[in-house]
Amino acid sequence: MTTTLSKPSEVGVAQSPRPGRSGAAPRRRSSVVSRQKRAGWWMIAPALVQSVVFITVPTIAAILLAFTDYSFSGAPNFIGGANFVELFGDIRFRTALVNTVLYVLVVVPVSMAIALAVAIALNQKIRALGAFRTAYYIPVVTATVAVGTVWLWIFNSGSGLANGVLALFGLSPVGWLTDPNHALSSLMVVGIWQGLGAKMIIYLAALQGVSPQLVEAANLDGANRWQVFRFVTWPSLGPAQFFVLITSIVGTFQVFDLVYVTTKGGPGLATNVLVFDVYNNAFGSLRLGYASAETVIMMILIGGFIILGRRLQGANTHD
Amino acid sequence: MKRSTTLGVVGTALAVAVVLSACTSTGGAKEGAKSVDPAKATGTIRVLTPAYPASNEGKAAFQAVVDGFNKTYPHVKVEPDFATYATLNEKISTSIASGAGYDVLVTGVGWVQPFAAKNVFEDLGNHGVTKKTLGEKSTPALIPASTYKDKIYAWPLTADARAIGFRKSAFIKAGLDPKNPPTTFKGIKAAAEKLTERDAAGNITRPGFDFNTSPGNYRQAFVQLLAADGKDLYVNGKQNFDNKQGVETLNWMKSMINHVQPFGQQNAALKPMTYTNDAPMGFVGGSIDCSEAGVGQANCDDLGFFLLNNTREVEMVGGNLASVGANSKNKDLAWAFIKSMSSDAALEAMAKLNNQIPATANAADSAIVKSNALSKFVAKNLGRAIYEGGATNWLEVRTDFNSSVDDVLLGKRDAAEVLGELATKSR
Repeated sequence: MTTTLSKPSEVGVAQSPRPGRSGAAPRRRSSVVSRQKRAGWWMIAPALVQSVVFITVPTIAAILLAFTDYSFSGAPNFIGGANFVELFGDIRFRTALVNTVLYVLVVVPVSMAIALAVAIALNQKIRALGAFRTAYYIPVVTATVAVGTVWLWIFNSGSGLANGVLALFGLSPVGWLTDPNHALSSLMVVGIWQGLGAKMIIYLAALQGVSPQLVEAANLDGANRWQVFRFVTWPSLGPAQFFVLITSIVGTFQVFDLVYVTTKGGPGLATNVLVFDVYNNAFGSLRLGYASAETVIMMILIGGFIILGRRLQGANTHD
Repeated sequence: MKRSTTLGVVGTALAVAVVLSACTSTGGAKEGAKSVDPAKATGTIRVLTPAYPASNEGKAAFQAVVDGFNKTYPHVKVEPDFATYATLNEKISTSIASGAGYDVLVTGVGWVQPFAAKNVFEDLGNHGVTKKTLGEKSTPALIPASTYKDKIYAWPLTADARAIGFRKSAFIKAGLDPKNPPTTFKGIKAAAEKLTERDAAGNITRPGFDFNTSPGNYRQAFVQLLAADGKDLYVNGKQNFDNKQGVETLNWMKSMINHVQPFGQQNAALKPMTYTNDAPMGFVGGSIDCSEAGVGQANCDDLGFFLLNNTREVEMVGGNLASVGANSKNKDLAWAFIKSMSSDAALEAMAKLNNQIPATANAADSAIVKSNALSKFVAKNLGRAIYEGGATNWLEVRTDFNSSVDDVLLGKRDAAEVLGELATKSR
């Protein structure tokens, strides 16, 4: 299939000049190739339309609007890089940038490590395995609004479960979401917990794909459990690690709903993150041009993080 | 090269589309009612409203308005969009950007001037509304919030008044006189300190004063306190908070936070803590349900109310206000629908749903006002109303206010510095 599609002209050119051979066969092949090409385009058309309408066009729109003062009314005026200049002098943006990077730097590696540990545990022959796997996956399929509401109650400074537990040990209550020194950390805990299940499932699938022959060979060579993990399991997880890393970076950078439901970016700017700031600038302050400039910076930042992650894992991805 | 050309074309087309959608005026309805017999008028009007919650009760109350409207306009379809105040800007802005603007928009007091300035709302003078005609039918409290450049852009529906509530029993227990509650900053702080309860470790177990707000929302308390200190937030669209009173007010709030109430403390129901005796004094709304389904009569009987009066006695008033979309193609039908929403029965139902009071000139005579002491109190004091907003860029500044006030209350930034910065942004 691949050969036919990728080298249609070569087939035709190679055969047609031969003397004494009819040109019908190559024409037939050429016609088949054309039909296959058309069929290919038809098959990718829905995905292509979806990508163009919902990804390409909004991306281009955001980039164009980033250089305007568009605020939902009137025509957008081109203002060059003024939005970008203003952004870097804006304390809200700078704080959001720092908070987001901190959030990513903590949530991504910690959740990946915990998810891997859980996956390894759930890859053993233990009782109620299905129940455990389901329990870890439930947060993934639960709406973030519901998750946020439950955590709001857990973190309520007056009557919340977290402070109730502290009280059992005679400890003073903590303003989990109301103290600027704790609010972002509290959201990180929720973020780690919420993303655990999806990562765990991918790791679990990858663990089950580790060659038992390799493990057995390592055991026969006298490798201990750590050595088996370090030299057999870990390298086999490369592609899964890469996939989890990339999706985690992108997903974590775009944290919004959790902040929207629980803290609204507060107290002060303690939990203001980039997507929430974009939302505030676009729909709170009605400055779509400014918000678009922030989006462009965020896209560049995500790209940078992905390149960094790719380089860090490059040797281990088999891609 | 080809690809970049294509992207350029797509980008240019998109920019053109944005410009066109921003410039075009489209509405939900196709046929106007002007000089058309109401019985023969046809079309659809789209109504954006946070005044009716998207619950069964809210939808039923809205449908009752539609039914009344359809008695006069039987062939006009009404499409509601039950928004919340949290999603209002998203709805309005995306409707403008898409060119499918609403015909009727219900918003709050801070929205009118910004959207009037952006030509999103229609001058109601085109429908014969003047300050005089509005004043005859509506509470004077909300007329300034409905006005932009001396023209009326919104019709007040309900008033959301704020007062200070206190528990008489708690006052007596603390040796305070419930017949003479404190109203000044100094007096309130002294009383709150007496009323605050702590455990052996010094942690506050019962706040002495409830700001009744979450982190990021102390802005409204600041506006109310600032007015009580003699300064409205804006005067003639110019900021009026970057001054001695502004700094004094913010610093007073800071001195209360974590001293008589932990920052951002709220009860699980997110209702004023004074209603349920979780706090002996604090900010309250404009209506309270004293039935057994609400807080109960015993709770209501223990409540007293007063207004802040550091140098001026004030009552903060927000509310629901209805406007005609400037891009509507059926403005007369939209205005006719607003009149249906403003009937006494409709306003009574809307006020009940929102724990507010009707924004009518004779609000004191309404059943909901007569039903509870708090509503009677705030209705009696509507003449002392102040409101939040007043500048065309208020929606932008408001966002900055939220985080900046938090920063001062938490001791992270200086009050004068923050107010100076906000004043610069307000220009």
